[in-house]
Formats: sequence, C-alpha cells, structure tokens
Amino acid sequence: MTAFSGELTRLRSTRLPLWTLFAAMLCGGGLTGLLALIGPENATPPMPGLDTPEGGGIVLGIGGLLLFVPALIGTTAVTSEYRHRTIGATFLAVPRRGAVLRAKLGVFAILGLGYGLVSSLSSGLALLLGTAIHGEELGLPAGQLVTMLVQLTLASAVYMVLGVGIGALARHQLLAVGIVLGYFYFLEYVLMLIPGINRLYPILPGGATASLTRFTFLTEAIEQQTGTAAALGSPVMGALILLGYAALAAAVAVLVPLRRDLG
Amino acid sequence: MTAMTALPIEVTGLNKSFGPVHAVDDVTFGVRRGRVTGFLGPNGAGKSTTLRILLGLMRSDSGSALVNGRAYRDLVQPSRTIGAVLDLSSAHPGMTARGHLRTYAALGGIPATRIDEVLHEAGAQEYADRRIGTFSTGMRQRLALATALLGEPEMLILDEPTNGLDPAGIAWLRTFVRTYAERGGTVLLSSHALGEVQRAIDDVVLIDRGRVARSGPLGDLLATADSLESAFLQATRAGVAA
Repeated sequence: MTAFSGELTRLRSTRLPLWTLFAAMLCGGGLTGLLALIGPENATPPMPGLDTPEGGGIVLGIGGLLLFVPALIGTTAVTSEYRHRTIGATFLAVPRRGAVLRAKLGVFAILGLGYGLVSSLSSGLALLLGTAIHGEELGLPAGQLVTMLVQLTLASAVYMVLGVGIGALARHQLLAVGIVLGYFYFLEYVLMLIPGINRLYPILPGGATASLTRFTFLTEAIEQQTGTAAALGSPVMGALILLGYAALAAAVAVLVPLRRDLG
Repeated sequence: MTAMTALPIEVTGLNKSFGPVHAVDDVTFGVRRGRVTGFLGPNGAGKSTTLRILLGLMRSDSGSALVNGRAYRDLVQPSRTIGAVLDLSSAHPGMTARGHLRTYAALGGIPATRIDEVLHEAGAQEYADRRIGTFSTGMRQRLALATALLGEPEMLILDEPTNGLDPAGIAWLRTFVRTYAERGGTVLLSSHALGEVQRAIDDVVLIDRGRVARSGPLGDLLATADSLESAFLQATRAGVAA
C-alpha cells in the first residue's frame, strides 16, 4: 500500500496530471469540436453528416485514432524514471520491486481512465455543441453515444498501460517514444495497406480499438483504394484483444525490471 | 526489531563480472557499528558495483553482502535501516525538493512530518519549494542526503559524496558525517579522493581492480605511511608484486 501511495504522490508532485488533462481536452474535445464545426459532410471525400446515425460515430472514431497519446504519456512517465535515474532510489525505498511496479501500473491505469474520462466527456460535449451550432440534431442515438464514450474511456486506460509496458521494456526515453509514435502513427497504417498482411489488422491494437468502437471508416476507405481490407471483429472481440494487450503490457512492465541490474 | 549482529554490514566473497571484466573479485570486508568506514580506491575499482550489490540494485555472481545479517531486499523497513546516496542526479528536475521528499517518504512508509526535519538536518530548507532542475551540485547533494535521512536510518551509505562539491561543501559534509557517527550511526563512505575523506573516517577498506588491497582501522594504516595516498600506493604495489 505504501508503494501505491508513493507512486500516487510522485505523480501528484509533477506537472504530468496537468499535461494529461490538457492533452485529453485537446485530443478529445478539441479535435471532435473542430471536426463537428467543419462538418463531416464538408470533408473530402464527404462523410455522413452529424444528423445521420453514422456521422457522430465517425467523428468520435477519428478521435479514437489519437489513442496513441495516452500510450505516449505512459511511456514518457516510465522512461523518465530511467532518464532521471530515480528508479534506483525507488527500488531502495521499496526493494521488493514487484510491489512498486504493480503500484505504477495501478496509478497509470487510473491516470489513463482519467484521461479517457476527460477526453470522452469533452468529445461528447463538443459533438453536441458542434451539431447545435449547425442547427441540427445529433443523428447518433444517445445510448450509442454513451456506449462509444465509455468504450473510448476504457481504451484510453488500456493504451496508457500499453505505454507503460513499452516504456519498461525500452527504458531509453527517445527510443520508447519512437516505438510508440512509429508503431501507432505509422507502422499500423502501413500494415493496413499491405494485401495479405492487412488481415492481421483486427488483432492489432488499432484494429481492436476500431472493432470495439465499430469505427469502419478507415478500413472502408482502404478497401476503396486497394480493393482489399480485413473485416473488423465484433466489439466484444475488440475489447478482449485490447485487454489481452493490456495484460501483456502489465506483465512486461512488472517482470522485465524485476531482475535487471541498475548501474 | 532489527537483528543486531556483530557487524551491521558484512560483505563476504563477493564476485561480479560484466562480460570479460571482473569488476568485483572475491571482496570481503565488514563495517563496524558507530564508525565511519572509508571504502576507497580509484575510479573503476569496483566500489560502486559493490555498494549496488549491497543495496540490492545489482545481483552478484557469487558471495554475499548483508545488512544486519540480511539481504537488503529482505529488510523489513529498509528506509529505517539504511539511507543511501548513490547518484546525485537521481531526482526529477520538474519536482520541488519537498515533492521529491514527499514521494520517497510515502514510498518508505515514513510520516510526512519528517520532511521538514530532514530539510533542516541537511541544511536544505531554503530551497525546499524550488524545482530541482534549478539546483547546484551542492544543493543536490544536500537533497540526496535529506532523502537518505528520511527514515532516521541506523546506517548511511554514501557513494562518492564529495564529487562536484566545493571546499566549503566538503567541510560541511565531513562535519555532518562525523556528527552522525558520534550519535551512534554507522557510515560506509566510498571515494576515489583519498585526501578529501581522510579526516572523516575511522576505518578503511582499500579496493583496487576489484580486489580488497587492505582493510582495518585508519590509525593502523597510517602507522606505516604518512598519508592515505601513500598507504594506498604501498598496498596496491604489494598486490601487484604478489
């Protein structure tokens, strides 16, 4: 319990919660508000408007493409322990490393949930506000809207934990940030474009998130361009795959530093 | 209640290699309670590696390094047993000194009321609410000491504590260490600057190329040499000759 309290105190002693809040509002409400104000029907190619059942879902789904941001926050936070060499002092205070590593995971899962909550709430508000500004009514049913926002909130926590795992594995901050950005911002999209390999997309983190939120916009766009794309799984399948990734990242975050020498 | 063995720190037959480099080679020594022991040798002699093994941050290939008869990771209240200063840069530059101390107090299960006390003991209260990124080396040294003192530990381990300190800082540190030992505390202090620590220590462990060259009371060592430097050179030359 002291390990958890210590990690929570560490988090509160830095500006990270403030930056996380700012990032969540920018990536959630900011992006959704911008898309809603422009209006998806004015995009090239035009997408369904906000007054249609699909329009609101697409706008929220595009926000889901920024889930690499909580992963980046988790990665940066963990690698900063190695960058600023505080990990040694942490293990001196709590020599049972497993306890402190589990505490870190717990704290960052909570921070991820907080990110998701702020991001989703601000997205929902921005979507409603943007629709009202156009003098329209949101076509996405309220129940579906709430479900999507809850899914994105939980996915944020999963991505934050993923980031923690990547950070624990890589340790070097620039390398870890490069892995997160390179994978979520580049490699996953490239894999979607390669015939055959793109069948793997539904079991990749981005594909699982798209399955969870039923965000088919990207796969449909790629199918139109290349004539081939993998079908997404069910939301339950997407959730299970994401939980699997979270469990794998948590195991990496706890097990890898356990026996590592700290010079 | 911590078990009170004869020697609070006992290192026996310790070995550690990094690839082909034998960093610590059959190192054996003990640290006596209530005394300041200098763990001295040139850079790369194996001092930091030995201390890191003692503190559970590295694993040895063989041998043992015990604190009150136990491995560090098995101590019930490590922060109350040993306070360690290993690396001056080990603090988040975005945190204030108070935030840093609050974190390590919470991790060690130590009441937050100790924070102001250790800031005072280490003479760091003036910059308690400043961000660590703005600190000088001397300020960082005092913060590191304040962190080590949080649990009112019975022992202190200081790795190269004079690095980067000006003469006034070194004199302050010497007084601090002597006062700590006079109050019954045990100190193991590593340094490559033999002359700087000579006046602070009671016992000596000389280490060179991973092996203990000589150990014992400082007075015994100085009986055969006029300074720690010359005693060290004698001991290591003897080792080379042997």
